Amino acid sequence: MKKFTNLLRKEIKELVTKQLIVSLVLFIVLFNFIGQVSKKEVQKAIGVQPISALDEDGSAASKALLKGLESARFKVLDQSGKTKDDALETARAGGSKLLLVIPKGFGGSLAALQPIEIETYSFMRSFSLIGARGQVVVGGVISALNEALSDSFLKEKLPGLDPQSLKKPIKSRDFVVVRDRLAEGSASMVAGMISQQSLLIPIVLMMIVMYSSQMVISAVAMEKQNKTLETLLTVPIKRTSIITAKMLAAGLVGLISAGVYMFAFKGFYGGIGEEVAQAGAQAGGPALMQKLGLTFDTTGYIVLGLSLFLAILVALALAMILGVLAEDFRSAQNMIMPLVFMVMIPYFVSLFADLDTVALPVKIFILAIPFTHPFLVSQNLYLGNYGMIAAGLGYMALVFAVLVVFAARVFSTDKILTMKLRLGKKKTAAA
Amino acid sequence: MPNVLTVRGLKKSYGQKTALAGIDFEVRPGEVFALIGPNGAGKTTTLRIIATLLAATEGEIRFLDRDHRKEPDFVREKISYLPEEAGAYRDMKGLDYLHFMANFYARSPEEEKEFVDRAVAVAGLGDRLGTKVGTYSKGMTRKLLLARALMTRPTLAILDEPTSGLDVINALEVREIVRRYVREGTSVLLSSHNMLEIEFLSDRVALIDKGRILDSGTPAGLKEKHRAPNLEEVFRSSLR
Repeated sequence: MKKFTNLLRKEIKELVTKQLIVSLVLFIVLFNFIGQVSKKEVQKAIGVQPISALDEDGSAASKALLKGLESARFKVLDQSGKTKDDALETARAGGSKLLLVIPKGFGGSLAALQPIEIETYSFMRSFSLIGARGQVVVGGVISALNEALSDSFLKEKLPGLDPQSLKKPIKSRDFVVVRDRLAEGSASMVAGMISQQSLLIPIVLMMIVMYSSQMVISAVAMEKQNKTLETLLTVPIKRTSIITAKMLAAGLVGLISAGVYMFAFKGFYGGIGEEVAQAGAQAGGPALMQKLGLTFDTTGYIVLGLSLFLAILVALALAMILGVLAEDFRSAQNMIMPLVFMVMIPYFVSLFADLDTVALPVKIFILAIPFTHPFLVSQNLYLGNYGMIAAGLGYMALVFAVLVVFAARVFSTDKILTMKLRLGKKKTAAA
Repeated sequence: MPNVLTVRGLKKSYGQKTALAGIDFEVRPGEVFALIGPNGAGKTTTLRIIATLLAATEGEIRFLDRDHRKEPDFVREKISYLPEEAGAYRDMKGLDYLHFMANFYARSPEEEKEFVDRAVAVAGLGDRLGTKVGTYSKGMTRKLLLARALMTRPTLAILDEPTSGLDVINALEVREIVRRYVREGTSVLLSSHNMLEIEFLSDRVALIDKGRILDSGTPAGLKEKHRAPNLEEVFRSSLR
């Protein structure tokens, strides 16, 4: 145990460099800064915003429209009495997001039920989505106004009849059924909430896999490059201890690094995502998920954690073998690519396709990738596919065992010194 | 007294390529046994097999009368190996490196301190042991590694080109250190291209070429047998 601790301490010291600490601190500071800046911009966009309005009509209807905009958190800067060109120039110079032009005859046309056009000029000073919000809100106000006008017309012509029953004679009540549970709500909302909840899994997995694997591959490759491996292999310590120490150190540092990255991401998303999250909560999303049983209990989190843990172990064992194949530190950088692809394939498939509907060979191929299973755990938990979860966990454990046995065999034989992979050249053994 | 090492019919192949075609030799207690031969003769392969890095394709090795193949952990406890192109961890300070390596062999903190104190004396690097290995010259690194190899007073020190990369003065110092350790009981198996070094250090030598031992004996005995003034001439003569 003393020898193993000695080796583990050395591996951790090699990985936790000043550069790593500085880059992690910088990452937190940078992402928090971006998050705070974004938060301010979102607040500005959601807060009272100045728009200019040129009311050429001056009727009660045009005034009602402008009042509607004021209640939609716009500060309306009145440009009445100016020409359209002057109003445009004033609005542009004054920092307005939008100029609304209500033409002469607006009120009269509405009264006569004649379609009338109003003009909006959006000043795009940036191309962010937040920057274009003004026009979206104005569109919403106009649409509400259209609704109100058509309602009042129908009420006038057909008294005693609810205008809504004429405009929308067919109404729908949406229900979602998940296993044996039923709740009123939309399927798209449920899908949206689940994808939002599952968003973190691939990010966490990708980061830990990439970080830890890169560390293991580099650790082995550096031992080769610095000619320290031969000496290490002749000291009285078991070869399995050498493998375990390298994997454990990389796993620990990778886990901590991923935690730091997630903390930084939280700071980043905290700025942008809060408003969206609040909107979701108001719309009754969490209540719907609760009713449908689409929430994780403690067992669910344990199963998910176990799945992620096994995936990390598989990645580390694979990285250990890839590290042996690398000749030096530089070639080790390329060795990470197969692992990245193995994580990205199931990630993109889970984003864009339903595994149940893809062709069987593709399905087998995707399920054969060990990193697919953590992506499937949450939906299998929700859908009660416990057999599939158990099979996934068992498969990952089996792959890990096979890889560790193989890695231990490589480290216990000549292969640790003779196995090399030269891309584009013949595989050779060196004496 | 039994041999420290006995090698019989040792063969090693990499696929179709034969590195060792069946060699026999032994290392006796308290002697320096040297393998000399050209590049690719099989010297390093032999040393790597003895150091438990490579597995022999055929043959028998007995270390302190125990089966070398079956008891690699026992072998690793008793030997130390200095590869020709060895390095040390560049981000470690010299002293930390010695402590790191001593920790694998020492059974107590006192023994670890004893090993490190011995290595500090052998390395002769003074205050530089407090700086990172990455800042050392090739010669300084070599002396640190030699100190590491000898600090545990191994039963058998396997030294592949021990003075490789050292200047004349440092090489002389290293040879004297090796001889001192041999006087104190360590046996040495070494390989070198430097025939002067071999003559100065070795009690017995084996001439090796194309994976076969051509001849072996004491330097003086070989020179007499081949009627040659030095080991280089002995080697040329044994090739005929």
